[in-house]
Amino acid sequence: MADLSTSFASLELKNPVTTASGTCGYGLEYANFYDLKKLGAVIVKGIRMTPSDGNPMPRVCEVTGGMINAIGLQGPGVDAFLHDDHYLPALKKSGATVFVNIWGTSIGEYADVAAALDAGSDGISALEVNISCPNVKAGGAAFGTDGKLAAQVVRAVRGATRLPVIVKLSPNVADIAEFGRIAEAEGADAISLINTLGAMAIDIETRRPKIANVTGGLSGPAVKPVAIRMVYQCFRAVKVPILGMGGISCGADAVEFMLAGATAVSVGTANFTDPLLPLNVISFLDEYLDRHRIKSVRELVGAMEQ
Amino acid sequence: MARFQILENVRLRGDYFRVVFSAPEIAAAARAGQFVHVRIDERRDHVLRRPFSIHDADPAAGSITLIYKRVGSGTALLAEKAAGSCCDLLGPLGTAFTPAPEGVVPVAVAGGYGAAATYMLVRSCARKPVLLIGARNRDELILDDVYRAAGCDVRVATDDGGCGVKGRVTELVEPLLAENPGKKFFFYGCGPRPMLAALGRKLRELHRDGELSVDEIMCCGVGACFGCVVKINDPDAEKGWSYARSCVEGPVFPLEKIYLEK
Repeated sequence: MADLSTSFASLELKNPVTTASGTCGYGLEYANFYDLKKLGAVIVKGIRMTPSDGNPMPRVCEVTGGMINAIGLQGPGVDAFLHDDHYLPALKKSGATVFVNIWGTSIGEYADVAAALDAGSDGISALEVNISCPNVKAGGAAFGTDGKLAAQVVRAVRGATRLPVIVKLSPNVADIAEFGRIAEAEGADAISLINTLGAMAIDIETRRPKIANVTGGLSGPAVKPVAIRMVYQCFRAVKVPILGMGGISCGADAVEFMLAGATAVSVGTANFTDPLLPLNVISFLDEYLDRHRIKSVRELVGAMEQ
Repeated sequence: MARFQILENVRLRGDYFRVVFSAPEIAAAARAGQFVHVRIDERRDHVLRRPFSIHDADPAAGSITLIYKRVGSGTALLAEKAAGSCCDLLGPLGTAFTPAPEGVVPVAVAGGYGAAATYMLVRSCARKPVLLIGARNRDELILDDVYRAAGCDVRVATDDGGCGVKGRVTELVEPLLAENPGKKFFFYGCGPRPMLAALGRKLRELHRDGELSVDEIMCCGVGACFGCVVKINDPDAEKGWSYARSCVEGPVFPLEKIYLEK
């Protein structure tokens, strides 16, 4: 039995495996399949101040090796999330380690959500700041692809909460390492990457886009090599820990992310394929470390040899 | 997420198939209108499961039957699966139809392979449902024989008049009511979105009650991703509607909950 516990953004996680925001709902959606306490953390889908409808249907389509989504951050808003039984109160009871993904349509809203969650932070271990959703026209991607705006968002959130702040970076930029440096300079405790890659697909029979938003975000195994490259580039550019994600669909993928520089990893789209995948990743890590006679999972971080 | 063996996978007609799985736990728990979420293939180029209504469940034999149409790459792969091979199934998932009690005539209104989803009503309702089935043409009409063999009154409408009445399935509703003055009816709708909307409007016009089962592209199947939403009436929302997840709050919704576009 290797030691799977790890330190991440001033937190001690029981293992480095989390479930990615947007793929594991707002509460106990996967609790019927396994005990959420077994995960390093559950990362709740994006929350803003007010409830939001999200985008029209269809919102998802499958492509080779992945899927495109434009859900558009449908959500209950921060008050309902903090107080309605089936959201945070249920997660608290489950004993899960909870990270909450946040977003806004203005810098002020980002700060307001962070402050509201900070005030109700019993049961919340960290905030993940989504500056990179490609599917929300106001905010989201604009903040993640403009260095000045990104800096302002991170500074505002940093000033509004004592919780560890993880900044989720967009891959839809020329130099992702630059955004990692910006987040770090503005006080982020960690960065997470990658969010989905801008993408689209067309039904050739109807000549219509396959999702109503026309463009969406690509995820799944197809994006993994891009994500590995970006984690590697950020690892060389920043000192804060990296939460690596993008197409992890087996335990070996998680090891690859860690070798590239990720301290922890998120399983995203693969939850849809196999709800038990996060547990399989944890057991693979254990087996891999034993097989390679490595005592702690921490030794894998950035351990690629060149 | 266990793997379940295929006992039979046969073509009904054209692109329509019937697959039977050995799945005792699912067969024991399944109710009319619920679905299973099928991981058809282990290959990583297919990341999404496919949802299928449970057509029939036989708890004694420990088997469930699905009816599917080959429409894309997932269902094409399923059609190639031989008896003896396995798929990973999640289920039964979603909400179920409410069985009509004694004294109420259950009426299933189905468009295309929507008829697959209402078959378990034959056993769960106090009396045999009347079936109103609509299809584009004779080749797209399925399961009418299965319902007839189960003793149901089956009425058919096709767009081209090649079988039954020429026209839409919703046009079969009023004649049925006219034949049975004073009787109580409860309607179950399942089919493509435009057909469900037309049926919903018709039933509201006629002040009849029922439930509709929606068919949306689905992703997680367990309420986590918000990929399969439909509009439901919401008096608290400014617009009068909000989105509900068809995988957990549906696929079966009470008629009065379904938001119909103006």
